[in-house]
Amino acid sequence: MLVREIMTRPVVAIGPDEPIGDVIALMEQRRLRHFPVVDDGRLVGIVSDRDLRTVGSEHPKARPDVRRRDAVRAIMTESVWTAHPLDPIDEAAAVLRRQTIGAMPVVDGDDLIGIVTASDFLDALVRMTGVGRSSTRLEVELPNRPGALAGLLTHVASRGANVASVLTTRSDPEAVVFVLRVGTIDGRSLAHALREAGYEVAWPPADAARETARTA
Amino acid sequence: MTDARAPEDSVAFVYSPELSSWALSPDHPFKPIRLELVKDLLHSTGLLAADEVHPPRPLRPGDLARVHDQEYLQMVERVSRGESADEAFHFGLGTSDTPIFRGMHEAISLVCAASATAVDLVLDGQVRRAASFAGGLHHAMPAHASGFCVYDDLAIAILRATDRGLRVAYLDLDAHHGDGVQHAFYESDQVLTISLHESGRYLFPGTGHSYELGAGAGRGWSVNIPLEPFTEDDSYLATFDEVVPRALRAFSPDLIVLQAGADAHRADPLADLALTVAGMRGAYDRVAALADELCDGRLVITGGGGYAAYDVVPRAWAQAWAAMTGRTLPESLPKAWRERWGARLAVRLPTSPVDEPDDRPQPHRLRIQNHNMAVARRLLQVLEPIWREARTPTGRDRAPRKEETT
Repeated sequence: MLVREIMTRPVVAIGPDEPIGDVIALMEQRRLRHFPVVDDGRLVGIVSDRDLRTVGSEHPKARPDVRRRDAVRAIMTESVWTAHPLDPIDEAAAVLRRQTIGAMPVVDGDDLIGIVTASDFLDALVRMTGVGRSSTRLEVELPNRPGALAGLLTHVASRGANVASVLTTRSDPEAVVFVLRVGTIDGRSLAHALREAGYEVAWPPADAARETARTA
Repeated sequence: MTDARAPEDSVAFVYSPELSSWALSPDHPFKPIRLELVKDLLHSTGLLAADEVHPPRPLRPGDLARVHDQEYLQMVERVSRGESADEAFHFGLGTSDTPIFRGMHEAISLVCAASATAVDLVLDGQVRRAASFAGGLHHAMPAHASGFCVYDDLAIAILRATDRGLRVAYLDLDAHHGDGVQHAFYESDQVLTISLHESGRYLFPGTGHSYELGAGAGRGWSVNIPLEPFTEDDSYLATFDEVVPRALRAFSPDLIVLQAGADAHRADPLADLALTVAGMRGAYDRVAALADELCDGRLVITGGGGYAAYDVVPRAWAQAWAAMTGRTLPESLPKAWRERWGARLAVRLPTSPVDEPDDRPQPHRLRIQNHNMAVARRLLQVLEPIWREARTPTGRDRAPRKEETT
């Protein structure tokens, strides 16, 4: 998945000479937390909700000389981390975390085309896990060797069930744990068939109830 | 509501033989034959009189199209006639869950007709309460089949009531989230949907988080209580008592529709909740009492899931019927009924209308109880202020409570 697929656009940018008070009003009105600052079509800085909120406050990082009527240039961060629309999102997320920042403007050449924020990454995570599409969780521990996942998926496909998503939750030299969301309401039957075929299924649980019902 | 007021003990059981004579596939876990076992059990225990059985009235033109997309309806009709269509798969048809069978459009339309009839019988004042155990297809979506459900009989039935300007509380006790019905009324303040289900973290369809509250005018009127796997009777009923009466009183419905899916039972092969029939009966009794308290007793019960189809479902729905009619089931189920169906289905049917005690250890019982109660309390913390605001005159516009016409 690429940054351009998850970024927020259009992006709301501001000029360096806008009064801080106006930007605060814009922030409240649009419910945004990061504003790229653009001068003459070029990205020159970024200002965050924290930068804005501390102006004129008792906050230890507040600069006593800056007032709300001053230009936003006075408080913007000039050294800006940016993302490219074709960056993989895992790479972009790593930058966000390592630099402990909340958002990156997305820049293609000289053009500011969007912004990618922590919320966008969370939305992408939710989408990737497949929740929201009708499906059943299937958790299987596979041996860590080539073809293991392919074998599992073949079994699932042979039962006419579609796979909505695949996630890896643990990986060590011996084993990899996969969480699949499978488009069937009858996950127990699928799990039963996989166990019969020798798979280690952690969820759904083994069907003790069905056995007792059969022998009752 | 009409001027007619049905006698308190008047009830209807909506039934025709065609409601049980279809199957998605020969060995499919969804078994419409359950309806026959329940009906016969109620007759043999004297809980159902012949004149209480009502046939479904035909659907009205346009009933299905109010809930489902035209393109989807055309696709179901096409495959139902036996025409093959590659695109059917994109509508959830021809999957392992919802195989295609000849006449499926007619069969499932009749299920919808049965549930709509149950609502009409109550609203016309013919009976106080009605059951449509063939119904309860709560996963069907506007443009696709899902989780064994092709058409959403519940939404169609509920619309019969909202069309008359009435407020409907829909309560879904199936082990799976009632996603289709919630979706149909997510933005409506005329329909409250409440679903108690095994958490979507573990179970199909994966939705039903407590943060799904409804949207727009419907905000606060979708209520979801996701429960931990292996939840037992005590915790289930305690969680029910914490949320359901408050939600119903805040909403003050004119009619309650109960989806009584029976797959929350511990023996159900498709879900992981651990109720007994006695626990399920406890929930049905509560619903009947709430209907008496809030909407003059008006209550419609449907079926739903329930895949321990012979061992559990007939007892669960007989208990639901007993709760809604105030009639008493015998201490043990009739021998003739057990032998008749046992021979026909080659199974052994239970003798007790409840369950044998289960003394298998449940090491996580306390953790599960605490978790469920925490979910319920956290949810109320969000919902109660929204409900309070809806009740105040300064709150958003809200249809005035309809006066009783007695």
